[in-house]
Amino acid sequence: MSFLAPLALALSLLAVPIILLYMLRLRRREVQVSSTLLWRQLLQDREANAPWQRLRRNLLLFLQLLILAALVLALARPYAEVPTFTSGRTALLLDASASMNATDVQPSRFEAARRFALELIETLSGNDEVAIIRVAENAEVLMNYTNDRTQLRAALERATPSKGIPDWNAALTLAAAGAKGAEKFTILLLSDGGLPSNLDLSLYGDVRHVPFGIAAQNVAISALATANDPVRGAQIYARLTNYGDQPAEVIFSLSLDGTLHSASPHRIAENGAVDITITDLPPDFRRVQAQLTRPANSTLPDHLSLDDTAYAVYTPLRAERALIMSRGNPFLERGFAALNVWQVYRGDPSRGLPTERYDLYIFDGWLPPTLPDSNILIVNPPPEPPPNNLYTFGELTNRAQVLRVRPDDPRTRYLRFNDVNVRTFRPIRADWADVLVEAEGGALVLAGEFEGRRVAILPFNLFDSDLPLKIAFPILIANLTAWYQTPRALSLEGSVQIGQTVVIQPPPEAETVRVIAPDGAATTFRADQPLLIYAETAQTGIYSVEMYSGAELIRQEFFAVNIFSDNESAIAPRAVQLGNSAAAAATDTPEEVGQREFWSLFALIGLAILAVEWFIYHRRLGVPRLRSTAARRFSRTARRS
Amino acid sequence: MAERLFDEKTLRQLDQLTLVANRVRAGAMKGERRSVRRGTSLEFADYRNYVRGDDLRRVDWNIFARLERPFIKLFEEEEDLAVHVLIDASASMDFPREGEGDPKHHKFRFAQRTAAALAYIGLASGDNVAVTALYGAGLNVTWGAYRGRGRSLALLEYIGALQPAGDLDLAGALRDYAMRYPRPGLCLFISDLLAPNGWRDGIAALQGVGHEVAIIHVLSPEEIDPPLAGDLQLVDVESGATADVTIDAAMRDLYMRRLLAWRDEITAYCRKRGIHYATVETSTSWETLIMTELRRLGVLR
Repeated sequence: MSFLAPLALALSLLAVPIILLYMLRLRRREVQVSSTLLWRQLLQDREANAPWQRLRRNLLLFLQLLILAALVLALARPYAEVPTFTSGRTALLLDASASMNATDVQPSRFEAARRFALELIETLSGNDEVAIIRVAENAEVLMNYTNDRTQLRAALERATPSKGIPDWNAALTLAAAGAKGAEKFTILLLSDGGLPSNLDLSLYGDVRHVPFGIAAQNVAISALATANDPVRGAQIYARLTNYGDQPAEVIFSLSLDGTLHSASPHRIAENGAVDITITDLPPDFRRVQAQLTRPANSTLPDHLSLDDTAYAVYTPLRAERALIMSRGNPFLERGFAALNVWQVYRGDPSRGLPTERYDLYIFDGWLPPTLPDSNILIVNPPPEPPPNNLYTFGELTNRAQVLRVRPDDPRTRYLRFNDVNVRTFRPIRADWADVLVEAEGGALVLAGEFEGRRVAILPFNLFDSDLPLKIAFPILIANLTAWYQTPRALSLEGSVQIGQTVVIQPPPEAETVRVIAPDGAATTFRADQPLLIYAETAQTGIYSVEMYSGAELIRQEFFAVNIFSDNESAIAPRAVQLGNSAAAAATDTPEEVGQREFWSLFALIGLAILAVEWFIYHRRLGVPRLRSTAARRFSRTARRS
Repeated sequence: MAERLFDEKTLRQLDQLTLVANRVRAGAMKGERRSVRRGTSLEFADYRNYVRGDDLRRVDWNIFARLERPFIKLFEEEEDLAVHVLIDASASMDFPREGEGDPKHHKFRFAQRTAAALAYIGLASGDNVAVTALYGAGLNVTWGAYRGRGRSLALLEYIGALQPAGDLDLAGALRDYAMRYPRPGLCLFISDLLAPNGWRDGIAALQGVGHEVAIIHVLSPEEIDPPLAGDLQLVDVESGATADVTIDAAMRDLYMRRLLAWRDEITAYCRKRGIHYATVETSTSWETLIMTELRRLGVLR
């Protein structure tokens, strides 16, 4: 037994004042009694027992000296020398990647690594310093270089495994930064392997690897995607991979919007994969969850359960329906039909507006008595007061010399009107609309939002102009189509890998954007920027992006976050290529000398003696609150006599 | 201590108690008490042979006619009884003081009430009552002796005004009293008997004069089961003497034994000397005191 703080032993001098206090006897409290007659007699009786009395007093003294001894020993920080893995300055790189969740080591690889680290910390020598770096999607310093075991322990207790893919480069760089000024520096990897093969560990100094994990058996959903085929409808594609070295049987079950759609058994050869394509799906669903389970009779373990669940989002393809109310306008029909976005229908103005709803109404030379509640394109408006006081119009004019095309507007992108000739038009004024093309006599093209609908107006007859024959016509239709269509806030193909950021492009009318994680945690953004970045994708599952204007939900979209990493799903422990460094082999035997402190033992002993001393002291001084049995005996015998 | 010993209600109760006590004693406590002497009452006592000089009126002529021998018919003599109420007024009776125990358990206060009750009963039954506070030889203060219920208010006032004080030599004070008031009677002695110089000589002196002695031994619960612990210096309120004691559970147990032995010793002494003796805790309720404790004493029945 040696001491880390031998100076504390000097505190044992405190025994002197304790003994002195005992020798000086304490000052007695004065209490008045009716008579000391009986007490004196008592003291005379007691003289016979005096030695015993002295011993009792000394018992307390002895106990107090013992307590002091225990405390002083504890303060001196005694330690024993034990073998350990590392000494000097050490960076502990705690692999917290998804594969560390594997349960081939009970309770899990991460837990085993954590315990290993805790054990290591217990054997730190006085001058050793340890930093703990958690390696997950990003490297995080849980505790910087310190010798304080309590802090290190607390940092380790805080550490949790992630579901992500570790960033070894960052972690090693972070660790290596600590080498500065250290006599002896070691990087200790607590990992199941799977470091990128292009990493040259010899760059980072003395790197050692403590491997965790023993088995490879794992079946994962390594891909899950949805597709939208115009002919066959929705499709779901999944790939099941067996990373183990034995064939595995699994049941693949698929839930759509939370209800089980199908389940099918599959047999996957060792180190093989099965591709599954599922068609024959309902036309309308959004959220897809795929799950791998073991058949009830399967004895083969699956060590990593994180990758047995995968998520996807399906966006139904829906052609937008456009209704052309015209007495016949092939330009418009062709123009819109050419864009496959639109399913074009024709209506007869003489029979009025059909009751079904269309996404876009195109009124050519005719207007209904009331405006439908959808986007509208008005061409050649009739010379009558429009419904809903949509606009005011002036006299027919031929001053159609184009003056200006509205710049910096997506609706006028690539639009040139210089060579467009219009014979006559009726200038229209509407304060809700932007003038996209302005001529001498007034606006030639207007567009804007009117009572929640997007309305564009071409105030001239197409047959009175050469616009349909010019390149400007399809460009204008395409631009307006893009404007009429509601753009998606998320431009994602497939799913997001865990830890990646998601870019959200909220629509201009959105004021707040709420992202709700699979566990229900909501993040709210103010949509004051065109692009919002959401980075809290640390869970797998389906995230919901809700866009609000005020309190009203105007749009909801989803995205899925998955692991989908061969590197993580392949949980077989892999050796780490340690380069040409001296300790080229994985470390699994402690080779260096550490110090294990056991002051707490002495502190505990001190506490125990203190309890005993307290008990003895109080037994001596105990004042019974109720009348003692002796007093009752007095009353009883008094009555009898 | 100037406050009244009894309120009206208690006094009424005491009156009732008096009556009850009277009846129970069946003539022994009537205003005129049966005497050892033969006298002139209506109650027949005995016959004796006629000797010359006897009053011929007292010869029982019926007996003479039957036996042809003269006998004198003796009757009970009925006299009053001298009741001496002695209160130990030493400082040790002034306990527990403020802050050292329950003030309801104050010994002197209890002694006052007991003395007042006994004296009141005595007055009410026509006895010759004297009440004395013992302060020491030559210092004793005596009220009486008086007879008659009419004195009861004065009695209560007097007893109520008594104050315990001083270091008392109990034996000396008792001896002094025995010499000054030699008329034998019932001597009711109320004390805690905590006298460093002893008290037995004094009792012996009282008995020597012919008193029938009853000791009412008053102890407060704080003395029987002292609420003390730790390293203490005990100060005698009477003599100022100190004793250094470390009181722990064992010590308390020892004290208890000591107290019991002391009490038993006194009991044995009193039994031997034909002294009425009762230990009364000051926590005893009034009713219990009159109805039980004093009856056990043998002076009230």
